Order: sequence, then structure tokens, then C-alpha cells
Amino acid sequence: MNIEIETLLLLAIAGVAVLSSLAVLLTRDNFYASMFMSATLVMVAGIYALFNLQPVFVLIVFIFVGALGIVTIALAATYRFAPERQISVLWALPVIITAFILGYSVHISNLASLEKIQFALQKFITPEYLLLILFLTALIILLMLSVLKMGIEKEEGRS
Amino acid sequence: MQGIELSIIYVTSFAILLMGYFTAISSKDLIRLLIALELMFGAVFMSLIPLFSAISNAAFGIAIITIFTSSGELLVLIAAIVTMDRERKNIYTSSVTIGGDKL
Repeated sequence: MNIEIETLLLLAIAGVAVLSSLAVLLTRDNFYASMFMSATLVMVAGIYALFNLQPVFVLIVFIFVGALGIVTIALAATYRFAPERQISVLWALPVIITAFILGYSVHISNLASLEKIQFALQKFITPEYLLLILFLTALIILLMLSVLKMGIEKEEGRS
Repeated sequence: MQGIELSIIYVTSFAILLMGYFTAISSKDLIRLLIALELMFGAVFMSLIPLFSAISNAAFGIAIITIFTSSGELLVLIAAIVTMDRERKNIYTSSVTIGGDKL
């Protein structure tokens, strides 16, 4: 059975995504659960990058992981009921050794120079999609304004 | 896109959705529920990938709409969690007493 390297890579990324989503279910600490959730979403975005769909990769990583994921991690860290360390500090030693070996091997190897990046988003930027993005941004601002108004009304009702 | 790649994507998407569902039904606080919902949205994003091989431009539009609307929903849930904490002084799902039907 001849399996291409891209299929193997897809299988590996999908496997990591499923394992990290399983870790979300199994871990008891919300902080670690949110970290594993972010890892799952990065893997999902990685599959988009594997199929050369960089604009969606950027959207998922920036909006979902970069904005919502970080807010979720911050909330989980704030409302952490029983702060306990699930990972031993001793794991730092193999991590440092691996990072050193990796850094040194990259330093001594003659890597090819990077070529100019061809940004693929250009062909997607049409007036229709710009209008769509504008409307959706307006929708999110409206949603946030309504939540803000609800909070202000509750404050006024209390005082 | 080959058949094996298509099956890997759909199986992974279903598995992540299932994990998100199990996390949601076993959640005891609203943060866990938020994490479960984000996980389920991740599975939905993944199931969109095969659409790009057939109608790429429309699929990109659908992806943008899905990402923005799900982000809006989750932002409202985050605001609701903070509001509930200010009102009830806790974020347990058991303290949510209104909403839904009794059979």
C-alpha cells in the first residue's frame, strides 16, 4: 500500500488533534482543558495550511486561538478552583536539552535561504467579500454593544 | 483530494465533535461549557475543508461567516459568564435554574 507523505502528515496532525481533544475531556483542571482546546484548534488550522488554505489558517489562528482561545485561557486561569500542578518540574530538563540540540542542529546545518512569500489572500479580496467582512464586523460590534447595555442597565438597577 | 484524506478529515471531525459533546454534557461549570463549545466549532471548521475542493470561493465565504458568527456567539457567552458571576457569585451550571422545558 503506497501512502503519500501528505496523507501521512494529515494522519499525524489529525491524530494529535483527536488526542488533544480527548485530553480536554479527561483533564479535570479547566486551565489545562483550555490549553488542550487551543492545541486542537491549532491542529485544525494546521490541516487547512496543509491543503494550502492559508487565509482560513490565519483566520482560525488569529480569531479563534489568538483572541477567543486566549480569553478562555484567561477566564479558566481566573476561575481556577484548585490550583495544582499536573506536570512535574523535572520535565523541564529534557525539554531544555531537546531545545538545545534542536537549536544547535539548525545552527550548524546549511539551510536554504527563504524565498519571497507569495501571499495568496490577494485573489480572495473582492468587493463582495470585503462587504461581507464589514457586515460581520458590524454584527459583532452590535452584539458587544447590546451586552454592554445589559450590564449598564443592571448596574443602574442595583444602584 | 483522495478518498483516504476525505475519510481522515471526516472521522477526525466527528471524533472532535464527540469529545466536545461529552465535555459539554459532563461540564459542571460554565468555563468548561465554553471550552466544549469552542471544541465543537473546531470540528465544524474541519468538516468545511472538503468543500474547498469543489467550490473554493464560496467555501471561503462560508468559512468567514462561520468563524465570525461562532466568535460572536462565544463572545456573548463569555459576557454571560462574567454577568452570572457578578449576579450569583458562582459559575456552576447547576445554579442556572431558568431556561429549557421540564418533561
